[in-house]
Amino acid sequence: MTIVYEEVSKRFGRATVVDRLNLSVEDGEMMVLLGPSGCGKTTSLRMLAGLETASGGSIYIAGRRVNDVPPRDRDVAMVFQNYALYPHMTVEQNIGYPLLVRRAERATIRGEVGRVARMLEIDPLLERRPRELSGGERQRVALARAVIRKPAAFLMDEPLSNLDARLRLQMRGELKRLQRELGITTVYVTHDQAEAMTLAHRVAVMRGGRLEAVGTPTELYRRPANRFIAGFLGSPPMNFVPGEIRDGRFAFEGGAIALPSGQTVAAGPVVAGFRPEAARLAAPDDGAFRGTVYVTEEMGAESFVFLECAGQLVTVRAEADFQAEIGDVLGVTVPSSALHFFDAASGRAVGR
Amino acid sequence: MRRRAATFGKYALLAVFLLFFLFPLYWLVLTSVKTQAEQFASPPVWWPRSFTTDYYAGLFQSTTGWLAFNSLLVAAGSTLVALAAGTLAAYALSRFRLPWRLNQRLGHWILSTRMFPPIVSIVPLFLIMRGLDLVDTRAALVAAYSVFNLPFVVWMMKGFFDELPRELEEAALVDGDSRFGAFRRIILPLVRPGLAATAIFCMIVAWNEFLFALILTQTEGALTLPVGIANQVTQYEIRWGAMSAAGVVAMTPMFVFALAVQRHLVRGLSFGAVKG
Repeated sequence: MTIVYEEVSKRFGRATVVDRLNLSVEDGEMMVLLGPSGCGKTTSLRMLAGLETASGGSIYIAGRRVNDVPPRDRDVAMVFQNYALYPHMTVEQNIGYPLLVRRAERATIRGEVGRVARMLEIDPLLERRPRELSGGERQRVALARAVIRKPAAFLMDEPLSNLDARLRLQMRGELKRLQRELGITTVYVTHDQAEAMTLAHRVAVMRGGRLEAVGTPTELYRRPANRFIAGFLGSPPMNFVPGEIRDGRFAFEGGAIALPSGQTVAAGPVVAGFRPEAARLAAPDDGAFRGTVYVTEEMGAESFVFLECAGQLVTVRAEADFQAEIGDVLGVTVPSSALHFFDAASGRAVGR
Repeated sequence: MRRRAATFGKYALLAVFLLFFLFPLYWLVLTSVKTQAEQFASPPVWWPRSFTTDYYAGLFQSTTGWLAFNSLLVAAGSTLVALAAGTLAAYALSRFRLPWRLNQRLGHWILSTRMFPPIVSIVPLFLIMRGLDLVDTRAALVAAYSVFNLPFVVWMMKGFFDELPRELEEAALVDGDSRFGAFRRIILPLVRPGLAATAIFCMIVAWNEFLFALILTQTEGALTLPVGIANQVTQYEIRWGAMSAAGVVAMTPMFVFALAVQRHLVRGLSFGAVKG
């Protein structure tokens, strides 16, 4: 079902936590709300669930305005960061709870619990209690409890952040498959850009209670609307170099790069951004500018070289077998087409 | 060597404490089975030469049974009332954000009533009960003890509710339950150890209470055990034997009760283990 936020605000006392949020989620779409902590993403999700009341604006689920509808009548299922499993109930009772409170027949509950438990491969755990489960198992139980009925939407509040790194990767894949298979509209909150990039049909980036941008992960990655988004998506993050546009070139302390033809950026101070994977290392005299190796990180499949260039730390991706010593001087080439330009004052993307 | 000395010191200290606390119990039980001659012997008799069950037999001829029944009814009744009202109040204080910082203010106000010495309230309480025509009834005691225990229940239970993560109820609400359904199905089962611990305290307080019972009751239709026992101190004599026997009888149920629910009590007082 579709979800629409229309001019939705949330104020706690004098503090505005969510400021006139406008966002619509298509039927079957996975929308990831991404942003640093305190950006209002969780509050937005809780307003959708009915756990917080909106201070202004309207929220629609499947075309129905739900501002005054209690959580239980909104027909959404939620997965919490700490899973919120009922400690005194067995796994079976936990998963069956949404059906139990809807007065389903006992036999129906049994059957449905069995079905989703098999789907999530937790059927051997049905008699256990939450405290006897590992983190990953708890996560699956929480998911099972959400999928047991066909809700209008899934709401997920950082569901993977309590798992260790390996398990997180695995569950991320399973979560994506599950969502795509069931085709249920999902709003997913996270501060982890990798989760957003991998899971989302579309990502909504929030900052300070405002929506910064909405788009597919690729759109946001390739053409970030502002410096904040550019720096937030991608790992390691985009490099930023302050300088100015002069005579069709980007000039900065370390050197200058000619703008590509067709690039129209007004002359004046800008911040140029380029991604570590777009730049190349070269001999000291061959690059657009030089840098001194600050540190290198070998990742196995690739290496990241951190260079100090005119007081700025710049990251460049290199081959896995790249070797350099701290203090070495290297050149860096950046294809001019890979440059992003941002207004020095507002941070908004300029040009192109 | 030093550690052994420390251990010895610890046990010696515990032994002193135990002696201090258990001696009155020992003396009470002893007096209830001693003959009258040995009760008054000097030097005191530490272990009687002959035991007597006369005093216990005597209890059956007296009104003690009635008084025990009154005590039980009043203790159980007042505990139920205080627990029901107090638990709901505590849940509200713990979960709902009230304006004007009323959560803290109401909480402190409720606590402050506990600092009020009971004796100050006894005269107005008596007048109220007389106005309601409740003097010398068990209902008067149930009402008085419920009110007296209420602040304690609210504070204990609020502590237990505060320990429970809010997400549990929120999950229940989103899963389709009502506020009350979530309270009954999720929250109440989780605070059961807390409820048990609180109930025990209320029971014990009500069971042992003396002052209100002394003032508010007069006849065996409403008199409770503590007052009944004190009444063994008559104008002419102090019936030590009967008094001790009744004392043992009064003590036993609470003793057994506390032992039986000890596990809950410990769990209730060291809460936090329920977090999933």
